Amino acid sequence: MRLLQTFSTSIGTKILIAVTGLGLTVFLLTHLAGNLLFLAGPDAFNRYAHTLTSNPLIYVAEAGLLAVFFVHIAKTLSNYLANRAARPVAYTTHRWAKTKNPASRKSWASTTMVVTGSIMALFVVTHLQTFKFGPVYEGADGIRDLYRLQMEIFGQPAYVVFYLMAMALIFSHLWHGIVSATQSLGWYHPQWTPRVIVAGRVLTALIAGGFFMIPIYTFLLSRSAQ
Amino acid sequence: MAMTITLNVWRQAGPSAPGRFESYTSDKVHPDMSFLEMLDVVNDDLIRAGKDPIAFDSDCREGICGSCGLVIDGIPHGPDPGATTCQVHMRRFRNGDTITIEPWRAKAFPVIKDLVVDRTAFDRIIAAGGYVSMNVGGAPDGNSVPVPKELADLAMDNAQCIGCGACVAACKNAAAHLFTSAKITHLGVLPQGEPERYRRAAAMVEQMDAEGFGSCSNEGECEAVCPKQISIASIARMNRDFMRAATSK
Ligand code: HEM
Ligand code: FES
Repeated sequence: MRLLQTFSTSIGTKILIAVTGLGLTVFLLTHLAGNLLFLAGPDAFNRYAHTLTSNPLIYVAEAGLLAVFFVHIAKTLSNYLANRAARPVAYTTHRWAKTKNPASRKSWASTTMVVTGSIMALFVVTHLQTFKFGPVYEGADGIRDLYRLQMEIFGQPAYVVFYLMAMALIFSHLWHGIVSATQSLGWYHPQWTPRVIVAGRVLTALIAGGFFMIPIYTFLLSRSAQ
Repeated sequence: MAMTITLNVWRQAGPSAPGRFESYTSDKVHPDMSFLEMLDVVNDDLIRAGKDPIAFDSDCREGICGSCGLVIDGIPHGPDPGATTCQVHMRRFRNGDTITIEPWRAKAFPVIKDLVVDRTAFDRIIAAGGYVSMNVGGAPDGNSVPVPKELADLAMDNAQCIGCGACVAACKNAAAHLFTSAKITHLGVLPQGEPERYRRAAAMVEQMDAEGFGSCSNEGECEAVCPKQISIASIARMNRDFMRAATSK
């Protein structure tokens, strides 16, 4: 009860958002690492996917991931509505104070968190439909041939463009999100924070860059295979 | 060398009356005037014409009391860093400029009249815990209570907060985190205030939420407009202290 109260305060809410946001970021990293096995060819990729999904623990992991997603979305949305309510009359002229010194961290990324996040949530649904719940091709050892599915999907330019746009949203969300989470969790240090900001953005670029590369690589590969 | 300035000012007769912008032009503005002196001149003309003068708050007019505070062309306290509205001068503007002036806008800061808002929400946050409740006697002899230099500086930096509310005004969420965290930090790092550090953080945060302020999106617009340039490092400290309070006992 006490814990519930704590996490419904403005600070507790943001701590939950930060913890779940960083959890999702870690998930993205593992997801990317797995996806990069695509570069190693059909055998390695399909075997990896098979090993992952045939482990009964995967249901526990999936349920956990779903819960993290759910908390992140529920909390960001309630937080967004509460924040809107805190300013019932909008400014007629509003400018970013970024021009002042010290400059703020406000950016288009930070301003559009709820937009990028919401579209990402929709993207996750279509993404799961396309791959996880998409056509099941049987591969060499009787395991699912996800490699073939991925070649088919990203052989189509429309899918490639769609995924690149979705990855741009992740880039934007994490550009502000990762650094923001450190501040929500109370990590601030006059010497370290400027480096954490750079590190957060490098990590963002690596995650988004990695996910950018996969559809492009697959597309080029499928073209050269024809 | 008088300037001609046109003002677009938010006029609102009372807390529940609808507001609107009204436009006034004055050719009696001088570059050496402060922003508030410029408003005095405009008001002078309004009064002479038998009209209702523009209501705005001010007291010290030297950046130390925190009562003035206007959103000038979309930025709380106007364009200058580390300055209150009363410290902005008309030489910052050009002859012929149009300047839009709005009050702080937040649910927790209802408009009383025109540009004057009710900031007693801040008083209630202070009343919830922004004090040291044990009797610590008279002023101690110099150096009898050792305080490390870094902590003394940190406390002083945060004690500079004049409670003007610009942090709330600048924040897209109308959050009062910078104000509240400055008070929590300034008291919490000194020996007299340390014993109540966590209890204070919990009580002040609870009151801050109850007043209807928003939450922190870590954009730091508050820090950029703060006339005392208080760092959002204080917000991180408040988050730590608050969680510590919530997880102990
Ligand atoms: C892979 C998916 C996602 C990741 C890795 C992620 C990551 C993050 C991180 C690290 C933060 C910063 C937390 C903080 O400011 O303390 C954040 C904030 C936020 N996220 Fe996400 N997020 C994801 C999905 C979503 C979704 C689906 C939504 C949908 C509504 C969303 C909405 C938000 C919003 C609105 C904020 C800002 C809260 C604020 O600062 O006021 N996110 N996210
Ligand atoms: S009137 Fe006192 S700070 Fe401006």
